[in-house]
Amino acid sequence: MGTVLVVGTTFGVIARQSGLEPVQIAAMSLLVFAGASQFAMVRLFSESAPAPIVIASVLFINLRHALMAASLRAQLQGLPLVGRLVAAFVLTDEAFAMATGHFRRGGRSLAYYFVFAFTLYVLWNMATVAGIVLGDAIGDPRRYGIDFAITATFTGIVVLAIRHRSDAVIALVAALVAGGLALAGASTVAVITAGALAPLIALFTRR
Amino acid sequence: MIWIAIVGSALATYLIRSLPFAVTIRGHLPDAASRYLDALPVAIIAALVGPAVIAPAGALTHGAEPVAAALVVAAVAWRRSLLAGVIVGVATVALLRLI
Repeated sequence: MGTVLVVGTTFGVIARQSGLEPVQIAAMSLLVFAGASQFAMVRLFSESAPAPIVIASVLFINLRHALMAASLRAQLQGLPLVGRLVAAFVLTDEAFAMATGHFRRGGRSLAYYFVFAFTLYVLWNMATVAGIVLGDAIGDPRRYGIDFAITATFTGIVVLAIRHRSDAVIALVAALVAGGLALAGASTVAVITAGALAPLIALFTRR
Repeated sequence: MIWIAIVGSALATYLIRSLPFAVTIRGHLPDAASRYLDALPVAIIAALVGPAVIAPAGALTHGAEPVAAALVVAAVAWRRSLLAGVIVGVATVALLRLI
């Protein structure tokens, strides 16, 4: 919960300092509600990436949620369609991790999922607004290295997500290829190209 | 343009999250596909890091970002905390830019 507040505030600050309007930033948290993608969108907007590139990048970053939803299907099967569609809107990495833990411990209550997931939604949006206000107050972000916070957050997410050696290899390859493409002047397609190609390594490694 | 991207991204995200709940898929995903999808999120996020570390602002870095990124990796691996990484990263970049 605390992480959501910190990351949400960071998002608001960075988005505001990248020059996005407060309404646009709030709309991203209200409508998209996906941390990593929102940070990616800010980065792509600052490079003036065209909308299809932004949408395609977000689609790729969030593909994992389809897997999470698929793995929660069995537990949510009892709900009417409307309930399942609402559950899908607030499905995030954190809500999934919590729900999986809850069900693995033998819990059956779906209220647990909804309360937790919606609390995250409210906190995320409150933190975003706080970040927007803070972003206006801080001034030049480069002076305090705050522009690096987004990169540090991503780096940390990658480190925490690495479980096998192949994960580390894939992450390194993706970062280097994307960096190389950006240096070569292809910065708008760098992320989606490197991100889509590097996981192919997983097909040739043994677990 | 930005609004199109925001609304489009919102629709794309919701579609991905809701499709498995709305549609019934029979059988299992082929092993290759599930390995690929498993590795995808880390790869995409790492791909976001690469340009920001190697080529911030579109040109080769002066050195502050790679050093800071290495320290972030060390801090997060050691403390298992995202916040520790962010603090170390931001402080390092701010310090190196002062010098």
